[in-house]
Amino acid sequence: MIVWLLMLLVVPKAPATTHTVEIRGMEFHPAVLTVAVGDTVVWINRDIVPHTATGHGRSRWDTGQLTQGQEGRYVARRAGETSYACTLHPTMHGKLIVR
Amino acid sequence: MSRTAHRLLACALTLVFATALHAQNPAPAPAAAPDLSDPEVAHVAVTANSIDIDMAKFAQTRTRNAAVKQFAATMITDHTAVNAQAAALAAKLGVTPADNAVSQSLEGGAKQARTSLEALHGAAFDRAYMDREVAYHQAVLDAIDKVLLPTTENAELRKLLVDVRPAIATHLEHAKQVRSQLGAPVRTGM
Ligand SMILES: [Cu+2]
Repeated sequence: MIVWLLMLLVVPKAPATTHTVEIRGMEFHPAVLTVAVGDTVVWINRDIVPHTATGHGRSRWDTGQLTQGQEGRYVARRAGETSYACTLHPTMHGKLIVR
Repeated sequence: MSRTAHRLLACALTLVFATALHAQNPAPAPAAAPDLSDPEVAHVAVTANSIDIDMAKFAQTRTRNAAVKQFAATMITDHTAVNAQAAALAAKLGVTPADNAVSQSLEGGAKQARTSLEALHGAAFDRAYMDREVAYHQAVLDAIDKVLLPTTENAELRKLLVDVRPAIATHLEHAKQVRSQLGAPVRTGM
């Protein structure tokens, strides 16, 4: 029993996964995404016009301008909720929740 | 693309820019549809995008308002991207843009609008530029929804319209947001 408990403690967490947010029709899909610490988020732009995904607040990130078909990625290192937007189109908003 | 589609497209573009360039009164009087060829329609589309890009470039040199500056930068980026896509489609369909009377009248109208804007500075400039951008994008959106989408049958042209529409709608919202931050009544007689 003790051995089993010890094993539980050292068993590695679920492997980090990659989540995709599609940017199409001037919106983030999904607009709200929940991931685990260590996961990777990839934003891919399907629109003709360029976009960014730019985090507000503490855990800042910025994909920079993504042209059609380009991807930007961010590894979620810290737990918390971050609102983000597109700096080119202030009407575009998203939220990333890291648990 | 059928001949009818061309006429409708040319008519719509003429309406859009006749109304957008005389910004404050966007009451489209159904103008006679000019009989444009494929190369001429392509030229009109490219000219229309280029006019908004040039206006934005001028706005960047004139405004000191950060939100107006940012809006102008987005217009340059987005209309350049749309123009590239339109040019790619024209090339794919084997069409080389050709100058024509509609393009020239658009350019004439843009020159007039530019002259009016050049006389303005500070907050008066910002309001007049943003008023024009609200009217322009509203007119383009109306043309897409009421004329172009219901009548365009060419699958590739239709796809381009469907793809461009959300960007125009977003520009309109963005323009209204910036305009409302500027306050003061809507200026007339641009
Ligand atoms: Cu954007």
